[in-house]
Amino acid sequence: MKNRGITTSKIKNNAPAIPVLVWVGFFAGVPLVFVLVISFLTRDSLGIIVLEFSTENYRRIFEPVYLKIFFNSFLLAGLTGVVTLVIGYPVAYITSKLKGRQRTLTIGLIMLPFWISSLLRTYGWRILLDYKGIINNILTGLGITNEPVTMLGTFAASLVGTAYMLIPFMIIAVFNSVDKLDRSLLEASYDLGAGKLKTFRNITLRLTLPGIAGGFTLVFIPALGLFFISDILGGGQTVYLGNKINELIGRGRNKPLAAAMSVAMVLFITLVIYIYTKVSKEEVGGLL
Amino acid sequence: MDRNLLEIDGVTKYYGDNHVLKSVSFDIRDGEFLTLLGPSGCGKTTLLRCIAGLEKIDSGDILLKNESIKALPANKRNVNTVFQNYALFPHLNVRDNIAYGPRVKKSMSRSELEAKIGEVLDLVKMKGYESRMPQELSGGEKQRIAIARALINKPDTLLLDEPLGALDLKLRKYMQKELAHLQREAKTTFVYVTHDQEEALNMSDRIAVMDKGTILQIGSPSEIYNEPADLFVASFIGDRNISQVTVVEKNDDHVTIRLGSNVINVRCSNKAGCDFKSGDKAYLAVHMDKMRIACEQALDTLKGKVGSIHYAGSQIRIEIDVDGSDFTVIEYQKNECLCGEGDTVWLSWEEKGGVLLPLLPLPGGLSV
Repeated sequence: MKNRGITTSKIKNNAPAIPVLVWVGFFAGVPLVFVLVISFLTRDSLGIIVLEFSTENYRRIFEPVYLKIFFNSFLLAGLTGVVTLVIGYPVAYITSKLKGRQRTLTIGLIMLPFWISSLLRTYGWRILLDYKGIINNILTGLGITNEPVTMLGTFAASLVGTAYMLIPFMIIAVFNSVDKLDRSLLEASYDLGAGKLKTFRNITLRLTLPGIAGGFTLVFIPALGLFFISDILGGGQTVYLGNKINELIGRGRNKPLAAAMSVAMVLFITLVIYIYTKVSKEEVGGLL
Repeated sequence: MDRNLLEIDGVTKYYGDNHVLKSVSFDIRDGEFLTLLGPSGCGKTTLLRCIAGLEKIDSGDILLKNESIKALPANKRNVNTVFQNYALFPHLNVRDNIAYGPRVKKSMSRSELEAKIGEVLDLVKMKGYESRMPQELSGGEKQRIAIARALINKPDTLLLDEPLGALDLKLRKYMQKELAHLQREAKTTFVYVTHDQEEALNMSDRIAVMDKGTILQIGSPSEIYNEPADLFVASFIGDRNISQVTVVEKNDDHVTIRLGSNVINVRCSNKAGCDFKSGDKAYLAVHMDKMRIACEQALDTLKGKVGSIHYAGSQIRIEIDVDGSDFTVIEYQKNECLCGEGDTVWLSWEEKGGVLLPLLPLPGGLSV
């Protein structure tokens, strides 16, 4: 009797969340369940899914060919995180020091690229990086190099494209954290005898670690799946998770294996988010 | 005690067009508790930040032990600040907060540091709190840790920026006593900023009263309280009745003045001087709690009419009209005259409690 009272009041309290839960459950949960189910099925020679239970797909993930793909993806995503952090942190730090219109304008400019199709922006990089492209024209024109440099189709090109695409997430995440930083803590650090560098390392960096972890997570996860950038800029030279899954669904006609790889990716991302919440909780303490 | 530790020499500071400090000059003696007292926006915090090195001065000089420190950055000056919000590092526990200064300066060995941490924690009565995080401390506790964190560096002077501002009234009163005690025990010069006159009068060896970027008067609490240098100091410190009067004639050490139909003798402030001629307008400033009410006329009393009587716990406030000038009398015990509303009474005061001050343009925002 008592228990029932608690459950009904619980339902009442959480009633406003129900539409959201239904929405998320339907549009995110149901497809995920499909993927999970398909990952344990097999296919016939035409690529049509056959209702036959199998763990074969998961075994294949551990074949060297596929492990290499996972490794490539994590390398690209990890380096994207590092590159966006190194470039994004100073941008966020300076932006947080701006006031009034300058600040609004700068944040607006950081967000502006989102208004243009990401596919279009990636093709824009092709024009810059092409063998006969603008960058090579400048390099040879100024005599820095004798011949044009091959940039398209390299790992570096994929990295540049992915980092460019995702850097606003890093900047905004770090900005939120730097902006909340109590400047009197920096003054206290100077006052106690620490120079600029020591203050940055001991106070600023430590207290913005949650922002860094958040930004890294926000960049790392999409970087694992942005297949079109490495297709357009990397020339398919290196195979990444996103590309492989895309290929397996289309030309490869192996949806169950694609599903298994997707599930593995989701599990890995869950692990990354788990680490992030751990890090941010420990560092933030009772602050945020 | 009498040696000058800090010399502030013509310090000027602008924030854009805002002239915050107007050629401020004064000395701070070694070992004293000096309070910068003034209303908000008077420049007292800016002056403190200039001494700390957190603000650059536009002209003038600051000398610490006879050496100019104006070009040194904050981390190279041997002064430490206790910030208004304490500014304890939230990611470090009490021990690491206190150890921060010695560690970044590498000024102590490990064992020495441990011993010093124990020493300063003892001083602020916070032993046993070493591994607490700042967010687990109450306001008063944070305050003590902030002081300990500053004192471990053995600063030549400790700068305190309204450190009691965030505490509740009871704790504030308690911490006033504690701070004054701590200052003596630590044998360190304190420069203390506040807008609270009671805090200043309670704790300081000397008080510097500031307004609009200048120092109006500097002296001991009793000097500031009884011998104001001008009308601003008189109206800012203590509760005074201030009324405009006319000088009748100047005697040797007294001035005869007229207020309405009353003609009485009053004294001048030692600090404001006694430069009056007959016919001059001047201000009479009398502490509300130094006034007496009598039912019969006597020499040098003001005749007035009781307007209203307010009972406020231990004190009684009586409003009296003296020929158009309003006087408030604060009484703590029964007077010899039991007066009621509308009665005619005669007002007098202890000689110390009242002074005559020259007519100066009234500082903005202050009404008499």
